[in-house]
Amino acid sequence: MEAATEPFTGLAAVGISRRFGAVQAVANMELHAPAGEVTALIGPNGAGKTTLLLVLASLLAPDSGTVRVMGIDPMKEPAAARARIGWMPDTLGVWESLTAREILTVMGKFYRMPKGRLPARVDELLDLVNLAELAEQKARVLSRGQQQRLSLARALIHDPDVLLLDEPASGLDPGSRVSLRRILRGLAADGKAVVVSSHVLAELDEIADRAVFVNAGRTVLVQTVGQAAAQGRRYAISALDPAALAAELTRLGVSFDAGKGRRDCVSVALGTEAQGAQLLADLVRAGVAVTAFAPAAGALEESYLGLDVEQR
Amino acid sequence: MTIMENGTGPAPRTDAGPSGLGAYAAGVWAVVGMELRQRLRARGWYIMLVVWFGLIWLVTALTWASWKFQSSAQGDFGGVAGSAANGPGPLIFEAVLAFVLLFGLLVAPALSANAISGDRAGGTLAIMQVTLLRPGQLLWGKFLASWCAALAFLVVSVPFLVFGILQGGLGAGHILVALLMLAIELGVVCALGVGVSALANRPLFSIVVTYLVVAALTFGTLIAFGLGMMVTDGTVQANQVYYKNSYVATGPDGTVDPSQPSGQPELPQDITDQNDQFACYGPLQDQRAPRTDRVAWLLGMNPFVVVADAIPYPDRTSAAQQQYAVGAFESISQGARSAQAGPEATCQCANGKVAASYLSPQAPLWPLGLGLQLLLAAGVMALAWRALRTPAGRLAKGTRIA
Repeated sequence: MEAATEPFTGLAAVGISRRFGAVQAVANMELHAPAGEVTALIGPNGAGKTTLLLVLASLLAPDSGTVRVMGIDPMKEPAAARARIGWMPDTLGVWESLTAREILTVMGKFYRMPKGRLPARVDELLDLVNLAELAEQKARVLSRGQQQRLSLARALIHDPDVLLLDEPASGLDPGSRVSLRRILRGLAADGKAVVVSSHVLAELDEIADRAVFVNAGRTVLVQTVGQAAAQGRRYAISALDPAALAAELTRLGVSFDAGKGRRDCVSVALGTEAQGAQLLADLVRAGVAVTAFAPAAGALEESYLGLDVEQR
Repeated sequence: MTIMENGTGPAPRTDAGPSGLGAYAAGVWAVVGMELRQRLRARGWYIMLVVWFGLIWLVTALTWASWKFQSSAQGDFGGVAGSAANGPGPLIFEAVLAFVLLFGLLVAPALSANAISGDRAGGTLAIMQVTLLRPGQLLWGKFLASWCAALAFLVVSVPFLVFGILQGGLGAGHILVALLMLAIELGVVCALGVGVSALANRPLFSIVVTYLVVAALTFGTLIAFGLGMMVTDGTVQANQVYYKNSYVATGPDGTVDPSQPSGQPELPQDITDQNDQFACYGPLQDQRAPRTDRVAWLLGMNPFVVVADAIPYPDRTSAAQQQYAVGAFESISQGARSAQAGPEATCQCANGKVAASYLSPQAPLWPLGLGLQLLLAAGVMALAWRALRTPAGRLAKGTRIA
């Protein structure tokens, strides 16, 4: 079990199990989140994602298994580990009568940050999450998305090396999602290990470098986004004349079925992106007026749906 | 910090402040500051303060008015006002003090008992636990903040206590001791409330449990003392009591027996001890008596007993002064102390000695009672500390699983 001989920078969890009474919430889960990358934690409701994140955040003790935060065991040295962990819970949990600035300042005090550096750090984070104008507003009057952004800033106050984000995108408007993506990519570029749990799989294609799929408390698949994209996916194609499209696809020998979503579009399974490009070229050359040709689902979504996971 | 001191461990980047006790206190103060800021912005607290002020004002006014009425009525009949002879000072002081303690016991749980369970319900507890705050800092901070909020109620009632002092009959020492004891009692209740709130899952549950604990201290101790007295029935060596000046010897037909000219039975020969009221005579025998000294500690845990017993009052054992307690608090104190002294001291003619009608200020009961209260509060706080430790081994029932 103790195979952590090779140096690994980032967050490593091996063989994590945790039972709550009769419910085995997490069974032998494994997660490696290397520094400098964004790792997505994907699974259905009740798969044990939040439990795993609680263990990783050093809030919950696992029944078995080991966690290393930049090489530190949070069970043995919780303070040293916590100085390096930023945790954003799925529940908002804001102190409603405090202002955004006060919340960040008091969090900095809880992390024992030097007093002199704190105001500048608070301003920096308020700018980062685009809340500078609302800094003096009570958290109560902030919208859900604004509170979510404040929660992200709160997790970043002490400049942690490992960032654990539980459903950070829920409640965010499209603009905020784009800026969240930018912030997370920026943190990864700075060498942080970022773990994101989310349900918005299309979103994760853009953010994550790798994904850990969990189901029923177990790690079921680990792959990089590159691997996910290479495994083949479905494309949705529509044309001005659906009949001509169908005829041409039949002539090319490509099997297709009627698309599930929009009307007048067909769905085609292709192995690689190169095959997709080739098919599009063939269709256009044959004179089919193609109006849309795009992956029907994100790469990670394909993986997820391919796992045939169960909800519980 | 040099490389040598730093060793091979990872460099602490956030822990650049003072170390040891100073850092610990800084964390506690950060929690206190945040809590007080939140409380000062809650309108309910101000409303409660205003209601409190009004109630104490009402109690003071009614007490003063009743004294006025009483003294004027007695004046009409030409009688000498009994307790009113001293002025209304002690009366108002005791009434206000009793009400402040009563209301304080009612308000303090509301101020403290959702401190941690409320955070847990709001999802903000884990956010504090994941920082470098230690469970002890969290508990101390929450406790000090709720205590401060409770002390504000005490501050509001100070003018009325001062008014009582100004009416005469009492010294400034009374008010200081009284305020100190009230502050400590509020602190005990706040500590119990914060401790219970860390153990409970839901704010409502922790508030109800804290109220029940306060009720147990206030009423439960009295009931337990009463019941305990019955089961600790013991024996004491005592002889016969002879009541001087109280026998009127009568014959079978209700007339005074002429053979006893003084209307008084003869003083026995074998007197072991006597004063001007009683005499003890005859051989020592086992007599049944409740061993109140064994259960007096229960009585001592009562907040009213602690406060009443701690407030000084003059020694009335000398013959020059009246030999009975004046005022409710003094009576409570005397009652508690006689319970503590037990039958050996209070049972008439125990060991052939006349019992004093008034106990000299012997070993007071309140240090024992307060000590037990503090022990209880410390015990609950220790359990709370265990419950707040992270990484948590066990989770309370009903916590979300995944």
